[in-house]
This record gives sequence, structure tokens and C-alpha cells, in this order.
Amino acid sequence: MVKQMGFVFNIDLCIGCKACEIACRNENQTVSAVKWRKVSKLTDDTYLSISCNHCSSPECFRVCPENAFTKRGDGIVQINSNLCTGCGLCISACPFGVPQYDPELHKVSKCQMCYPRQDKGFLPACIEACSTGAIGMENLDNFCSREAVSTIPGFPDSRLTNPSIVFYPAKKRKRYFLN
Amino acid sequence: MEIYRNACPRNCFASCSMLSYVNNGEIIKVSGDPKHGFNQGRLCAKGYAFTQYVYNPYRLKYPIMQSPRGSGNWKRITWDKAYSIIIDKILELNVRYGSNLACGYNKFSGNLGLLHYAVEGMFNSFGPHTKPVGNPCLISGEQAIKSSFGQTVSLMPEKMVDANLIVIWGANPAVTNVHQMKFIFKARQKGAKLVVIDPIFTQTAAKADIYIQVNPGTDGLLAHAIAKILIDSSLYDQEFIDNQTTNWIEYRQYVSTEVNITEVSQETGVSIEGINELAHLYSLSKPCATWIGFGIQRNKNGRENISAINTLAALAGTLQKGKGGVYYAHNGLEDFPANLLNHQGPKHSNINTSREININKFAEEAIKLSEPPLKFLWIASRNPLSQDHDFKKWELLFHELELIVTVDLFMTRTAELSDIVLPATTHFEDPDLIISYWHQWLSYNEQAIPAYFESKSDLQIARDLTKKLNECSPNFSNFPHELEPIDWIEREITPSIKELYSLKSYKQLLDGPHLRNEEKHSEGSSSMNFHFVIPNKIASSSEASTNVIEDQDSNPFKLITPQSLLRIHSQYGTLSWLSSEKDEAIVELSEYAAEKYWISEGEKVEVYNQNGRIAATAKINRYLPKKVILVNQVGKNPINQVIVHEENSNIGKSSANFYDSSVNIRKWRD
Repeated sequence: MVKQMGFVFNIDLCIGCKACEIACRNENQTVSAVKWRKVSKLTDDTYLSISCNHCSSPECFRVCPENAFTKRGDGIVQINSNLCTGCGLCISACPFGVPQYDPELHKVSKCQMCYPRQDKGFLPACIEACSTGAIGMENLDNFCSREAVSTIPGFPDSRLTNPSIVFYPAKKRKRYFLN
Repeated sequence: MEIYRNACPRNCFASCSMLSYVNNGEIIKVSGDPKHGFNQGRLCAKGYAFTQYVYNPYRLKYPIMQSPRGSGNWKRITWDKAYSIIIDKILELNVRYGSNLACGYNKFSGNLGLLHYAVEGMFNSFGPHTKPVGNPCLISGEQAIKSSFGQTVSLMPEKMVDANLIVIWGANPAVTNVHQMKFIFKARQKGAKLVVIDPIFTQTAAKADIYIQVNPGTDGLLAHAIAKILIDSSLYDQEFIDNQTTNWIEYRQYVSTEVNITEVSQETGVSIEGINELAHLYSLSKPCATWIGFGIQRNKNGRENISAINTLAALAGTLQKGKGGVYYAHNGLEDFPANLLNHQGPKHSNINTSREININKFAEEAIKLSEPPLKFLWIASRNPLSQDHDFKKWELLFHELELIVTVDLFMTRTAELSDIVLPATTHFEDPDLIISYWHQWLSYNEQAIPAYFESKSDLQIARDLTKKLNECSPNFSNFPHELEPIDWIEREITPSIKELYSLKSYKQLLDGPHLRNEEKHSEGSSSMNFHFVIPNKIASSSEASTNVIEDQDSNPFKLITPQSLLRIHSQYGTLSWLSSEKDEAIVELSEYAAEKYWISEGEKVEVYNQNGRIAATAKINRYLPKKVILVNQVGKNPINQVIVHEENSNIGKSSANFYDSSVNIRKWRD
């Protein structure tokens, strides 16, 4: 069955705790220079946690001279490290800064949505680690929510590659700063 | 691959249970334990980095010794050599002074496992010695809770999910208690409001429905003002007050004569509208969970402030069953025999008890000791030269000491200044029992892998050292060195613990953590008697509330040094996965202060006062109060160099008042 698995990210529920980022490292034991998932500050009071967005039209896939990238039937974009020469074209092409150069192996690697875990029926490590439920996963081909949006201010332009991620934006809150 | 059940021993609210995945004697990854009702199968970022902690290139592998002290001229020694140097010193001091009072230790929260009380047990086994008493963290709050409630109170934090209003005073769980946030958000999904009251616009404040910024140390004033509004509008729980409280008339009198809303608004910096909104919420929304954070008690007003918040919670009628309650801490240890901690040593012919010194003034009081002076210091589960205060006194003390032994996993600032450093194990390398000071789960920690190189646990060191000591001097120590870790664990699981935690044997904990039964100290017990505490005059925070820095102000900034997300105090600084928080001091200052001192983002600055100075990198935080600066806790360049703890002489023992220090800043000059 052809589908497009993607991430659902709820801005209000992300507390920027980085459990997802380090759980990804724990699962994949990536070297220090390689970050498959990154948590960053989006605004003064919101965070963004992103990994590979497993785009519908992945630029990495298009530019790779070795055809090292493939897209699975469930939409996961994989990189075959045996084919990768570490040329870095995908790194400059990706609007989200996803592919990571591994200085030890001289190859590129990236989030593969924990497909080995998924194939065994487990959630990706980042989603399992998220204690507030800020990160979820859906088949975006038939995901429908009135409150979800396809992009948010601060997220790179998504028109080129059509990333497989949707957002629940932040609600307005009340603040009394010092008089 | 084998899977073991472990429990995190860090000084943290969550005390998570975890699973470790072991291949050929090596941990390849960890995960949260799904059977733990609080962490529910998840860990925090630091927890997920444990493989890097265990197999860290900077981890100590062997006993080492330097000569002279502080030279960095370290040589590897054998355990036998280390023991014999230590034993010679203990025995020689005993002959010199006729007792072991010249021997002492400093130990605190580096590892919360019950078997780490082996340090206390080992020293007890020598008979009278010099020991620290007190608690840098929780004394002020515990005293305030006891004077309001007459007892400790501990609610199940999972129950915060049922609240309609959650008010967090001076805690930042998004950083320090990540696993609590899911219960808060679940409550919010059901319609609850989250209010955060904090001088700092924290990561938790950013998530609050209502954030109220308050001048540091003035929370109690704010609570009394809200109480006054509730009283003046008759929006309080008369039945509860009539039946279950004492000192009400006096409190009402205090509020009507001493509390002026306009003045409180000026002192706290909270607008009258904000005070009214809080009063409205407290009067309407039940159940209401009031969470008193540890940040509140880091200043001289700590105890008064916590009493005031207790009072507000009582007045608003939130203390009865089903209506909320006050969350502070859970004293899980008080149920346990803590056999190692309470091990009874041999009697001394003419000295009845050990010599006790206040842990919050350890160095200061230790230097003053005479007949005999303190000459041998053992430091374990602690890094006082990063995390204590009054370092000048520590330097003086170290100068007087003849032997300093530090047990640690890494070369901390304290270890660097010791004579002998002994390598400690991680919690994956020894069995232990873990209880939390927040939730009510009991976890077993299995040994998953062999000890790293020559590292040993505090208990193993106590066993080996006391055995050898007795070989040199029969019956010097009465430590039962023949007991294995498992024997100590079995002795903690007494019949009453079995009943309290629904256990037949400790072995059941191998299948998952157990929750404490609720009967004891159940929430909102009908027999509870609440006492309205009349505050001493709460010291004014006028220096913070004026909000203008005058040229004559020598130390205009109030210094606050909160926990960072990827550290526990000075722990975890060597893990590259966590290095997005660099191990460097960052000073956050307001836009006002940056402009006044011509300091720009990223610039190197000096934070200083009469006690010392440190170099730090400037970061501008536009939400900071003008006269507050924040500095993170860094192991090798600790901000605590400028902190000196002064106890509030009115009220006896207190927590360490880390947030009472005032400092100045300027551009760095080489």
C-alpha cells in the first residue's frame, strides 16, 4: 500500500526538553557531529523539533549523483550508505539542513524514521521519547484536522519539496510582566 | 542481548525507572521503563545519554594520587596502596588525638541510591567522628510545611491531572521535572488553567496560560495580598477555617492591618490587575493544585514565602479531599529503616556522639574546629568546590587538611584539589534501591554490567576499607563488611515496607517498580489541622523593586543560578551529545543592564563581587527583571565562587540561600 507517513508536531506541547533529540542518538548511536533530530528555539516561547521530513518531492533524492536515496512505499526517504560517496550535494540541496556529514565515515546519514523499529511495530525513538506527545506520526495521505497547518513562521519554505510534516500552532497566552 | 531494569539515581524529581540493553557486557542503549507510573516508559535527554556517561572518555578508571596536592602530577596507584595510605592516616590521627573526631566526610546528593548511605555507615562504624548535618535544598520548605500542616504532606503528583487550576510558584518543570509536564498538559486538555509565578520567564512560564512575573523573594507578599482579597470579598472556606485551622483570627488581623494591596503591587512588581486575576482564579477553580518550587526557598525569605503560599491554599479551600492541595516534596526515605545511614557505631570511652557541623556552613565551621581540628576529609557523591559556596573558606580548610580523598566518576574541581581520587561506579554497575522526593514509586536498580575498569561503589569501598582497617587494628570499625549489596537491600524491605509497597519480596521489584499505598498521609485527611502562620516582617526586596541602577550601587544585581536542562548541577558536563549546552558560564542580563554597561550579546564579561569573580559570556534576555542576572552552573568555572551563604538568624536552620547574593558585571579586561 502506498502512503506517506509524516510527523505531526504540536507547538504548544513542546517544552524544548530535547528528549527526542537525545533518544534519537541513543537509538542510533550517532557520532557527536551527526544530529538526525534537532530541537531549536522557534520564538521566545516556542520550540521546533525536526528531523528528516521525508518530503513528497525530496531534493536529496533528485540531486544525488549516486542515486543513493530511495523512497519506500510508506513514504520514508532512505539513504543507502553503501552508495554514498560523501559528496555533500544533498546537504546543500535540502532546505531543512537534514542530511548530516559523518566525518568519521566520510558519508552522509540522516533520519530514516526508525524504519527498523517501525517494521517491528515500534514507534520511532523520538516519538516514543516525547513525554508530552508533542511529536506524533500519521499517514498524511489521509490525515485531516481543522486545526493543523502545513507550515508555521520560522519553518523553511516548504513549497519546493512538500515536506511530510504538519503543525498544530501555538495558542496565545496571557502575561503579566513586571510593572 | 539482555535487558536489565535500572533506576536513575540523580538528584531530580523524577527518579525514573529505565531498561538497559546489554550486549557482551556493554550497554548499547537505554529506554524508559513502561511499568513506571511516573516516567511511563520515557527518559529525559540526560537519561537517554547514559551510554555516553558510562563509556565516557573522561571517566576515571583507576585510583590516582597527586603530589603535591593541586599540582596535577597524578600517578595511578593500586586500591591496596590507596587503602593503606587512608588507613595509616585514620589510625595515626586516632593515636594523635585519642578519637576519630579529626576524621570527617562531606557527602550529599550526587547519587540518591539508598546503598550510597554506605559513606555515612562507614564513618558511623568508626565511632564518634565529624559529620555534616542539615540539607542545602529542602530545610526551609520542610519547616514551613510542618509549621503550616503540622506534618509533611505528600500528594501523588500524577493526580495533578485532575486539577482545574495549577499554580506553580517558583518551579520550572519543563527543565527540572520534564515528566510532570504531561500530567499538567493533560489537565489543561480537560480545561484546566496553568499559572506560573516566577521572576524568570522560564520554559514553563512560556507554556503557561497565565504568567505572572514577580520580583525575586516577594512571593509571600503576593500570596498574602491574594489572601487579603479573598478575605475582604468573603471568598474563603469558612467551614474549613472553623473546623480545621488554628490562629485564624490572628491571621485575619495581620492581613487587615499589615497587607496593603497597592504596596504589595509595588514591592512584587505584579499589577493590581494581575493580583486580582489570581485571586479570582484561586476563589473559583477547584480542584486547585498549588506547587511550591524549590527556587522560592533559596533566599532568606524562603520559609516565610512558603508559609504564605500554604496559607493562601488553605484559605481558598483547596486543601480538602478532592479540592486540590499543596505539592512540595515527598519524604519517601522516612518510611525506610535506612540501615546504612543509621548504622550504630561502637561506643567511645569518653566521647558520646559525633561532632556535627551544618552542611550549609561546612567549610566555615570545619576550620573553626579544635581539639581536635579536622585533619582528614572524605568527599563522596558531592562536588563542593563547584556546588557549595564560600570557596575562600574551603581553600582555608583544604590548607589545614592532611588528607583529602574524593570518590567520583570524573575529575571534578573538587577531585582536582584532592590528594587521592577513587573511581566510582555508575548505577548500571551495582544494585541499589531508588525512591523519589516527588512521586511515590519504589524502583530496584539491577546490576547490568561489570564495574568499569577498577571503579567501585561507595558500598564496596566501605566494605573493603573497613575490612582492611580491622586487619590493621582489630575492631576499629564495626561495619558488617561481609554483607553483600543484596543483603542491605533485603534489610530495607522490612515487613512494613512490604505492606506499604504491596511487596512480598524485593525480588518483585525486578518485574517493575511498586507504588506506595495511599492510606498513610492520604491527601486532605479530615483530621488535618492547618495552622495560620503569622509572618515575621518579610524582608523587603526594595533593591530589586526600584528597578533603576544608581551609580553608587556597588552590587546592583540579584544573582539567580537556576538548573540547566542538560545538567544536574555540575554533572554531565563531559557528554558530547549534551554539548549544545557548552560547559561555559553564560550570564543572562536584561536589555536595560546591557545598555547601561555597554555589553553586547556574546561578549566576554566579568561577574564579580567582594567574594570573587568569574568570566562569562553575555546573553541578553529581554524578559529579565532589570536588576536580576542569571548564571548557569558550570563545573570547572562555577558561579558559586561569588556566593556566600548567610543564614537568616531569626529562624534557625535553612536551606542554602544561593539566591541572596548580589553581584556586579563589567566587560572582561585581560
